[in-house]
Amino acid sequence: MFLLAALLLAALQVDAQTGRDIVLRVKNRPDGETRYAEMQLTLTKKNGNQRNRKMISWAMDEGKDTKKIMFFTYPGDVKGTGFLTWDYDQAGKEDDKWLYLPAMKKTRRISGSSSKTDYFMGTDFTYDDMGGRSVDEDTHTLLCEEEKGGHKCWVVESVPKDSHEIYSKKVSWIRQDCDTAVYVEFYDKLNKLHRVMTVQDIQKIDGFWTVMKMEMTNVQSGHSTQITVTGPKYDIAVDKSLFTVAKLEKGL
Amino acid sequence: MTNFFKSFLLGAAALLGTAVAAPAQDGGLTYSVKGFVDTYHAIRTESPVDWMASRTRVRGEFKLDYRNCGAFVSANLVYNALLKDLSGFQLREAYAYWENPHWDIRFGKQIITWGVADGLRVTDLISPMDYTEFLAQDYDDIRIPVGALRVRYIHDSWNLEAVAVPVAEFFKLPTDPANPWSVGTLPPEVKPERLPKNMEYGARFCCFLGGVDFSLIALRTWSKMPEWLGDHISYHRLTVVGGDVSIPLGNFVIRGELADNMDDHGNHQGNALAGLDWYPGGDWNVSAQYNQTFGAGEKSSLATLRISKALLNNSLTLSTFAYVDVKDGGIFNRLSADWAATDQIHAMVGYDFFYAHGGMFTRYAHNSEVWVKLKYCF
Repeated sequence: MFLLAALLLAALQVDAQTGRDIVLRVKNRPDGETRYAEMQLTLTKKNGNQRNRKMISWAMDEGKDTKKIMFFTYPGDVKGTGFLTWDYDQAGKEDDKWLYLPAMKKTRRISGSSSKTDYFMGTDFTYDDMGGRSVDEDTHTLLCEEEKGGHKCWVVESVPKDSHEIYSKKVSWIRQDCDTAVYVEFYDKLNKLHRVMTVQDIQKIDGFWTVMKMEMTNVQSGHSTQITVTGPKYDIAVDKSLFTVAKLEKGL
Repeated sequence: MTNFFKSFLLGAAALLGTAVAAPAQDGGLTYSVKGFVDTYHAIRTESPVDWMASRTRVRGEFKLDYRNCGAFVSANLVYNALLKDLSGFQLREAYAYWENPHWDIRFGKQIITWGVADGLRVTDLISPMDYTEFLAQDYDDIRIPVGALRVRYIHDSWNLEAVAVPVAEFFKLPTDPANPWSVGTLPPEVKPERLPKNMEYGARFCCFLGGVDFSLIALRTWSKMPEWLGDHISYHRLTVVGGDVSIPLGNFVIRGELADNMDDHGNHQGNALAGLDWYPGGDWNVSAQYNQTFGAGEKSSLATLRISKALLNNSLTLSTFAYVDVKDGGIFNRLSADWAATDQIHAMVGYDFFYAHGGMFTRYAHNSEVWVKLKYCF
């Protein structure tokens, strides 16, 4: 009897979840205190021509804040270029960002807020899409629950609170078994479908759900970007000194 | 085929061959090779419409790591069709290093950059400038490496750097009449004697905090630009103290640099720079700077403006970078388009515009040029 009551209560709690609660679950999905990954970005034009970018990244949580460092390893003209980011959870607090350009032997402080809606290095992913967007920058509404690719998903609509954002809304299909958005539609200012993000491979690595391959397609231009993750590791021993400007300048 | 050209091709082949093999690992020993081959040609846009530059080079950068130490070598192999003296092998950087999470020690020939200014010198005084083609080449090609010992202590949010340069390097000014960028004939150069008392040394304390970066410097150096002293040119000692700051504010980053240059007679010259970077989004970047000297010595007022825009998923970048001689009314503007044809190949075209009736750009008032550059990166 007690067990039945507990199950009913649990079911009610799930039903009572709001769109914000679900997006918060996605944001707070466990991913270890430290992370490492190598990534390949394949940019494909409508005519099939491809360009590639490769990079290597580390991240470390400090409370609710996150420090990240990333270096490009391919192609040759950007090899060694590094980004250091200190992401702050506190609403309204600007992130700290530095860019190191090896040809100039110089680190530049860059704006912490302006690039969020810019496309990352010519890809179809914005900096926000890469994980930097705060939950409360959008108003989230749970539309329904439905199956997608054989998995039960929540369908959540997210509308930016700031009218200057590059999209008018996005609709996300979030897998309930792993709290991961596996299919997202982005609509432009005229409410026309603009970009579609599809997760093509998701695996549990070291006990953490990890997106191994995903693709963003700009359905209006025909340009697409595929990100492939290799060798992800979690809770690795990383010295705090890795996330400093000095390390950015020393490079890999 | 000349011996030089043969060695050029052999060197290029060797560098490219190594690039294919890299990176490699062998029991903790790692190495990596990167570099490029580029060919650059410029033609004057006014009479006599002659070639201003025609050169091809291979740049190789080799890095070797073993545990906490390693070495880095960067070199050019150049064929210059106009200035044969500038053809040949050029060692740029060659240094060894040792590092751990808190110490970074580097000794050898290296480029040292201080400060936050773009293309202007306030506290960035150690590595001088190579004006062989004035400013009409990439800024990283203009910096001259120095033989130095650099020791850096690294903390999470700050670091302290000490530098010693036993033998100072000075500005390189072209005097070859065949060089369109020649400054003309110079009298004999008298450099400081190679004595320990003439070494350069200094320190820089840098702090990187949430919302602000700043640094403080102290440097015992030399005036790096030669001065006319009767029948010869020479240099004088300087003691410089100063600092820089960068503050991000929304879509902007405010930059500033300030230095006091004091000679051994107690004369002070101030040098101040204010800069503003704007990141409006849409792959636009705008950056403006104003630089003013004051106090003793010749005064100068310079401004720069850089605007760039990336298009077609970053495969095409349009940019303009202008130096403005505010005091004397001259302008040098480099307008360029950079197209990434493939991951490895870039094609660039540009126009260098000079306008001057006096001041630092006067000598080059008729050197406006169009140029093309092809670059293969490996």
